[in-house]
Amino acid sequence: MFDRDIWQEIFHTLKNNKLRTFLTGFSVGWAIFILVMLLASVNGMQNGFTSQFNDDATNSIFIRPGTTAQAYGGFEAGRRIQLKNDDYQYIKESFPKDVEYISTRYFSNTTARYKSETGNYSVQAVHPEHQIIEKTLITKGRFFNNADVVNRAKVAVIGRKVAEDLFKDEDPLGQFVEFNGLPFRVVGVFTDDGDDNAERGIYAPITTYQRIFGDTNDVHQILLTYNPTYDLTKALEFSGKLEDLMKRRHKVAPEDQAGINVWNYAEAFDDISSFSAVLSAISIGVGFLILIAGIVGIGNIMVFTIKERTKEIGVRKALGAQPKQIINLVLLESTFITALSGFIGLGFAWIILSLIGPTINTPAFTNPNVSLSTVITATIILIVAGVLAGLIPAVKAANVKPIVALSDK
Amino acid sequence: MIEIKDLHKSYRMGSNSLHVLKGINFKAESGELVAIMGSSGSGKSTLLNILGMLDVADSGEYTLDNVPIKDLSETKAAQYRNKFLGFIFQSFNLINYKSALENVALPLYYQKVGRKERQEKAMSYLEKVGLKEWATHLPSELSGGQKQRVAIARAMAAEPKVLLADEPTGALDSTTSYEVMDLIQKINDEGNTILVVTHEEDIAHMCKRIVHLKDGVIVEDKKIEQVRAQQYV
Repeated sequence: MFDRDIWQEIFHTLKNNKLRTFLTGFSVGWAIFILVMLLASVNGMQNGFTSQFNDDATNSIFIRPGTTAQAYGGFEAGRRIQLKNDDYQYIKESFPKDVEYISTRYFSNTTARYKSETGNYSVQAVHPEHQIIEKTLITKGRFFNNADVVNRAKVAVIGRKVAEDLFKDEDPLGQFVEFNGLPFRVVGVFTDDGDDNAERGIYAPITTYQRIFGDTNDVHQILLTYNPTYDLTKALEFSGKLEDLMKRRHKVAPEDQAGINVWNYAEAFDDISSFSAVLSAISIGVGFLILIAGIVGIGNIMVFTIKERTKEIGVRKALGAQPKQIINLVLLESTFITALSGFIGLGFAWIILSLIGPTINTPAFTNPNVSLSTVITATIILIVAGVLAGLIPAVKAANVKPIVALSDK
Repeated sequence: MIEIKDLHKSYRMGSNSLHVLKGINFKAESGELVAIMGSSGSGKSTLLNILGMLDVADSGEYTLDNVPIKDLSETKAAQYRNKFLGFIFQSFNLINYKSALENVALPLYYQKVGRKERQEKAMSYLEKVGLKEWATHLPSELSGGQKQRVAIARAMAAEPKVLLADEPTGALDSTTSYEVMDLIQKINDEGNTILVVTHEEDIAHMCKRIVHLKDGVIVEDKKIEQVRAQQYV
């Protein structure tokens, strides 16, 4: 394989047939170029999807109650399900290993007033861990803590837009703002990468709001993140178990999605990853079909080369060349053309991707690129392709009868 | 050195078969210079091809240097050709993109001789045929006689037991033919066994023995007084 004579011969043949070499090489190079670009595009789409979702913790589960759609356990259909503090406590205590962070949510609206400025905002009364689950970014001050929850403190974390609306240029930290007439002290300001709308919101301790609304135990949603070490199967298993338990607690039919909905982010990711898996399968398939055309081209050229060199091969055999040495020569030549032109195609694709890839950043398509494993796979494919392309011509060459080759005087 | 007994060979041409060799018995000792003569279609080239293991006989025995040659696989045949035989062709059959030196070194390459030793050996054989200065030239830059001398050097390079020459002077003018025969005679003088297929009387008479083939049988086999080619050069 690393025989200088063989390489000399290969280079000689290629040099003497520049156009032919170029044309065949081009078909393989082009095929690899398309294959890599296709894979990179799928990668880009995948990146786009992922970045759309990375606003929230990707291991989160939402539990949302609704109205039952089926009669079950002695209750008629159409019953409203109400989550309580008990449910929160129950989940927290039942799954200490599975639950990473957990928070309730209580939705409300408020008319907020500071000095002469007023505005209408949505309030989410939550637990402190909500900040981690929703990845809320605090730009000033702090999020409220467990002590605030225990003390039912009248504190609030306001969105950036709220701060702009009410406080203008003033520093809102430590100021009192009136929510429906009740004074709340601003302890923090948050931003949200997800959207501007979220920044028109206010967070307050759950307990404070429950007291304001008549010492209720009601909560509107429970959200939690599960142990981040869980894989998809384990995560889905956990959310399934959670769903069963919550439905049993609230006497909702096991298959009734309207009564209680337990939504696992992992499911969405499951959908996306199977979607992009199908996409990459299709693009690999298309790329391969194009590549096959290239391989056939190289095989074709090799057959011609053999035909042209029949006499030479006959002479070599007369001089003592063994069939396997002839096969080696032909295979190496075809592998060499395939690999070389393939690498050129690969290189071009890679240069283009690294030049323009990082500049592409749209919601559905972000930073198309190829991984090292793609490159390695492509290399292996190329070498195999080269061998395949040379196989038939090589066997043909090995079967050249020296007597026939030499007889045409 | 060479011994063949009752050799038969026929070719199938469509529905009828052509019986080319009809029982050849032949023996050549070491150091002989034999001319195989005959008109075209007499079977002389077929005989040479079988002797050269480029073709297989239908029946009969063939022993080369006490090795029975039969049921050869492609690989084995290639090894035997490389070890036992050197070929000289009418049309030289040099590889046109290799220099004279590389052409001579080719059989050594198939003997798996190291690169350096190969070059040295090839050079010494080129020197023997008087073409040392032409070592780096391509065949296209050589005259017919020079090409054939390169081919002879190539055939010699593997140090074979037998040299087989198929019309070695067929493509050359008479002066050049004599030069080539002079070279073949000198190689024979060193004790090499050489078989020359020819249809030219004068070339045949420069050998030591003439075997006449006609219609697939040997009709005449005689030792002759060798005419030295040197005097015509």
